[in-house]
Amino acid sequence: MLWLLRRAIVILYPRASLPGAADCALDDFLRTFKRETPLSVWAGTVAGAVVFHLFPLFTVFVPLPAFLLPRRLADLHAARISVSSLYLVRQSIFLVKMCAGLCWAADPQVRARLALPPLIEDPRTWRTS
Amino acid sequence: MSHVAFRPRGEDLEDTFDFVVVGSGAGGAAAASLLVRGGAKVAMVEAGAWRDPTDYPQTAFGGMRDLMDNFGAQVTMGRALWPVVQARVVGGTTVVNSAICVRTPGDLFAQWETEHGLHDLERPLLAAEDRLEQALTIEEVPAHARGRSNELAVVGEAALGWPHRHVMRRYAKHCEGQGFCLQGCRAAKKQSLNLTFAPEVAAGGTVLSCAPVEKVLLEGRRAVGVTGTFRHPTSHARGARFTLRATKAVLVAASVTHTPVLLMKSGVRLPALGHFFRSHPGTGVFGVYDEPIDLNVGATQGWASTAFRDQPGFKLEVLSIPPELVASRLSGGGTQLMQRLEDFRHLAMWVVAVRADSVGRVTKSLFGNPVVHYSLNHADMLKLRAGLKLLAQQHFAAGARKVLPSIAGLPYELTADQVDLFDQAPLDPRAYVAILSHLFGGAVMGRDEATSVVDHRGRVHGYQGLVVADASVIPTNLGVNPQHTIMGLAQVFAEALL
Repeated sequence: MLWLLRRAIVILYPRASLPGAADCALDDFLRTFKRETPLSVWAGTVAGAVVFHLFPLFTVFVPLPAFLLPRRLADLHAARISVSSLYLVRQSIFLVKMCAGLCWAADPQVRARLALPPLIEDPRTWRTS
Repeated sequence: MSHVAFRPRGEDLEDTFDFVVVGSGAGGAAAASLLVRGGAKVAMVEAGAWRDPTDYPQTAFGGMRDLMDNFGAQVTMGRALWPVVQARVVGGTTVVNSAICVRTPGDLFAQWETEHGLHDLERPLLAAEDRLEQALTIEEVPAHARGRSNELAVVGEAALGWPHRHVMRRYAKHCEGQGFCLQGCRAAKKQSLNLTFAPEVAAGGTVLSCAPVEKVLLEGRRAVGVTGTFRHPTSHARGARFTLRATKAVLVAASVTHTPVLLMKSGVRLPALGHFFRSHPGTGVFGVYDEPIDLNVGATQGWASTAFRDQPGFKLEVLSIPPELVASRLSGGGTQLMQRLEDFRHLAMWVVAVRADSVGRVTKSLFGNPVVHYSLNHADMLKLRAGLKLLAQQHFAAGARKVLPSIAGLPYELTADQVDLFDQAPLDPRAYVAILSHLFGGAVMGRDEATSVVDHRGRVHGYQGLVVADASVIPTNLGVNPQHTIMGLAQVFAEALL
């Protein structure tokens, strides 16, 4: 499932003049995301990735899963499915994009390109007494 | 100082207090601090952890995980799935909001009196708000901390000649404009209640954190305490049980979604419980400018207009969301999305929060969690759309090159001569990416037991020693940011208990 989600994210956020999702620490992030989000969020995000990979037939009219599409068609599929007229499809892809955005825009290289300072590591601490 | 955080299994906790306050947000912490000042023995119980500014996460992911209720994943069950945003941390939503301070608008008191039979609230509530403004530092967003997005909003407002212009007042002390209000202010400038009232409660009473309350204990129709189980803040492992007895009263301030459900789970039976849920649904328009805006530099929210509160019925404000959320908020995917993200430094986001008339309901799921049933009606959708059009006009008046409406069915971007296309935007809520930020109702105040849950001092009808002290008592939509009203009402209710 991680692989499926990773592929969807890499297609949705490809390397262009800005770094792509594949240029970020995506694998580490996805493992953390799976471990630390509520089951409903994880399940919804994975469902979104499944929808993403199953829908090329309805966006670019090719009966292949998105991960088997050539790059140009995959890119077109990503653009079309994210603005699908079907609300639940659009929302499913939004969940994948949100997961991707949480990783992508926190990455130091991306932040540097956006003129933002790097983030410190989340402390994961709290008052214990 | 007495603070009890997570306790492992086997270290059960039992104690007796005068008052037990469930929740430590705007309502709970304000009520508990007043009770402590009055000399009472108080326990304040919070489901989330107690995090200080050095504990705050900086990433948006960390903020959702460590500070938000259920990762911010609660959504409305209605025509559209809109997130219902609330925090789960000591200090509650005051940790993750922009600390905007607006006094309760005067027209509401007349409405509450005529429609809900609520007398004797205006004078004590406004007096409580006076005291709160003294106790918590209130400042206008300083010029050096406004950032370009807020400055341009002022320019656009002035160019359009909107009335009631003023700089936003917030619970902040020497804001530096670091742009992290929504993830908690690591500079400790925001006067969130984990830094102000919660330490006061801990100094004079007891604070339990990581301690979700499962049930209010009732003996007949009298509340005598609460019980629950500690939850570890990272592993979510169940810990020890706690039982806190209250000799005088239990105050429930667990949020608009959790308060009604906690009362339902505790066996409170009132016909209006969970009903009359209301909110300020909001969404935004990005303006794209030639100059760099760098929207995450400066106060997250430093400008607002209440000029349209009465007619058509909405509030406009700046909201600079973190870049992680901008990355998913812009529509599109693939190379097209990456090209759009190249505009990031030139984006300013301004939002409309609708003073919605739509009414929803909070119910309990099979697993005992809150479910929010809510959809915007046609009239409210017209307001939302009108607000977005005004924001677009404001962006253009401030010099924007184009705007990004983010409405399904409209083009990705519009130029100034296309602004009337907003009038043709769909009125289906599913076409909008919106959230519910300010929540009201579910245990509303009123005189009639058939249509309300509590009286004008938050006392639950037909029960003794049981008080609700959060936004769930507010029977109407305020049309302004509610933190000041919530804290004021909670202190009025607490004062009546001393």
